[in-house]
Amino acid sequence: MAYGAAAAHGEHHDHHPTGWKRWVYSTNHKDIGTMYIVLSLIAALVGGLMSWYIRLELAEPGLQHITDTQFYNVLVTAHGFIMVFFVVMPAMIGGFGNWFVPLMIGAPDMAFPRMNNISFWLTAAGFVLLMLSAVVGDGPGTGWTVYPPLSSVAFHPGPSVDFGILALHVAGAGSILGAINLIVTIFNMRAPGMTMHRMPLFVWSILVTAFLLVLALPVLAGALTMLLTDRNFGTHFYEVAGGGDPLLWQHLFWFFGHPEVYIIILPAFGIISQIVSTFSKKPVFGYLGMAYAMVAIGVVGFVVWAHHMYTSGITVNSRAYFTVATLIIAVPTGIKIFSWLATMWGGSIEFKVPMMYAIGFIWLFVLGGVTGVVLANAGIDFALHDTYYVVAHFHYVMAIAAIFAMFAAWYYWIGKMAGKQYPEGMAKLQFWVFFIGVNVLFFPQHFLGLAGMPRRIPDYPDVYAGWNMVSSVGAAITAVGTLMFFLVMFYTYRAGRPVSVANPWGEGATTLEWTVPSPAPFHTHEEMPVIAGGAHGHGGHGHGQMRPAE
Amino acid sequence: MHREVGRPPMNARGRNIRLTAGLLTGAVGLMLGVALYSPSLYRMFCEATGYEGTPKTQNVARSRYTAADAVTVRFDANVNSALPWRFHPAQRSVRVRLGEETLVHYTAVNQSDQPVTGTATFNVIPEKAAPYFSKIECFCFTEQTLAPGQEVSMPVVFYVDPALADDVNARDATTITLSYTFHRAEGGTAQQGSAPRIAVAPTAASGG
Repeated sequence: MAYGAAAAHGEHHDHHPTGWKRWVYSTNHKDIGTMYIVLSLIAALVGGLMSWYIRLELAEPGLQHITDTQFYNVLVTAHGFIMVFFVVMPAMIGGFGNWFVPLMIGAPDMAFPRMNNISFWLTAAGFVLLMLSAVVGDGPGTGWTVYPPLSSVAFHPGPSVDFGILALHVAGAGSILGAINLIVTIFNMRAPGMTMHRMPLFVWSILVTAFLLVLALPVLAGALTMLLTDRNFGTHFYEVAGGGDPLLWQHLFWFFGHPEVYIIILPAFGIISQIVSTFSKKPVFGYLGMAYAMVAIGVVGFVVWAHHMYTSGITVNSRAYFTVATLIIAVPTGIKIFSWLATMWGGSIEFKVPMMYAIGFIWLFVLGGVTGVVLANAGIDFALHDTYYVVAHFHYVMAIAAIFAMFAAWYYWIGKMAGKQYPEGMAKLQFWVFFIGVNVLFFPQHFLGLAGMPRRIPDYPDVYAGWNMVSSVGAAITAVGTLMFFLVMFYTYRAGRPVSVANPWGEGATTLEWTVPSPAPFHTHEEMPVIAGGAHGHGGHGHGQMRPAE
Repeated sequence: MHREVGRPPMNARGRNIRLTAGLLTGAVGLMLGVALYSPSLYRMFCEATGYEGTPKTQNVARSRYTAADAVTVRFDANVNSALPWRFHPAQRSVRVRLGEETLVHYTAVNQSDQPVTGTATFNVIPEKAAPYFSKIECFCFTEQTLAPGQEVSMPVVFYVDPALADDVNARDATTITLSYTFHRAEGGTAQQGSAPRIAVAPTAASGG
């Protein structure tokens, strides 16, 4: 229809560049999405190896494996940066976002295909720079928060922190461009009939995430630039001696940093909504509530940043405000949890691996959310600040929950992306090993934190030995689960059952990506689909698809 | 492959795409600008509210001298290890009535054998009293160069705003500490606060 005569484009169907040019010069949203996912897998292995090395050192009191404590700090820093910027964000936003946003809204590609290419390669370059930062000088041992004065020339005189800043600048620029591309695509490239209120929730989640990126990342860029000039050009933005203030960094960093954690978890919300709906064979309960809950989380996420700074000497009135504002976030997240459960309620639930990972996600997110409500209280946070309780909290609510959503998405969409189906039995085993592993790994860290064990320290008193050993055993189980995932992936590509139908999941999968062949051809939706139906008619959220009311 | 954008029915969409992209680029620029301007915004905010113990700096004392209440003001002095100075208050504490203008002195001695330039930062504890602690004259953020062995006396004129007694959250602050820290000035281009620059009257080396 609106997209012109198909005859003029038919020749494009099987005509695309081959060899390295197909990838390096790619302007195809699917190929770029695949490259993002590959980058994320590589980065996940690097970041994962670092965390297992950290857990190896922490298994017993004393310094056994990492005797250079600066190197320990470098590992902690790089693990955080890699997991946030080069694992979760590329996979969720660049990977699945690129792959499925155009497919789900009926667009032939992204609005700016060449900008899409540069977004990816900036991200990849950022990853290389970050790896370089760890091997020049002493490495950045600043933690991912890069607080001055620790990150100033006085304590990190070498070029490693500058490399790290450059890495974040480059990756941040890539993310901003990618976010602009996604927003423009979602606002302007929807197929006829695909109104905003008919968009699948995954598209909504990516839309909100992209807005957070556009508004938050420039603040990080500004703060990093000032740190860079403080370090190299004699300014004193964060230097008390020159009239600056290191707390300014904390305010700027967390004004970015708090939305950043929602940038990580919001796409996960979208993925889980699609999967829970598909395998419950029901539209999502409360579609509009789900969409606007994500918008609310995004908005409120910008006004709670100082809950990371309760112990920095902010006034009691500020602490009262930030406590209340933070607790308010429990309302929209509560709406989401409720609606997922209500979607499952009365549904014909099929426990395929994506659904198992989705339910695993809900478990992890609720548990991490509950400890978040605890930590939101400034009075309690004074005792728990910078302890392993915080480490356990954010790994549950954000890190492992996001990884679960990524696994869920991979299992859910691999048939569409690769045209091969994963082995169900092997994948179920992988789920259980991974699920048990991460819980054994992170749950005991609540006990360690409540007992006062500080984070970012490679050694600890003997009193913490027991649960640390349990936690490290959990890390080993998680490592096995991760290895199994790579085996499942290898098996799928080599010997996976071919997916012959457009929609292998049946009646529950109602979004547009299940209307194109599997694997999705190089070009899709060249003929724009027309979405018919009543209010919210499309995408499995529609009243039109619900059973008749009683 | 996407030349369709140029076709007549696509023109509106092409314009919308450019408009959306332009607005988003503007949003990125705005956020970047605000972040880069934030040091000034932050300082203005701290001075306006007394946040983080930033005392108010006034040019003239207000004449609201009514309260009979008095507070103890203690003086604290610190020197960054990179600065070879001795720095201490001439008096440990004074008892002042609210609203009363008070003159005190700090003393700094350059203990090295070469001229050294220093600059001081300050704060007030408890933080809740900071908005009521007004300095009329001080040496905050002004660069001081001391010749080898030179000793100077540095005046501070301050008063505690009587409104302190009316603030339910702050009136239990009966002891207020004014703290200075001297750092080595780097290159003489340190950021200046909006605090007035006060020339320091050097005293005889025998002074104390």
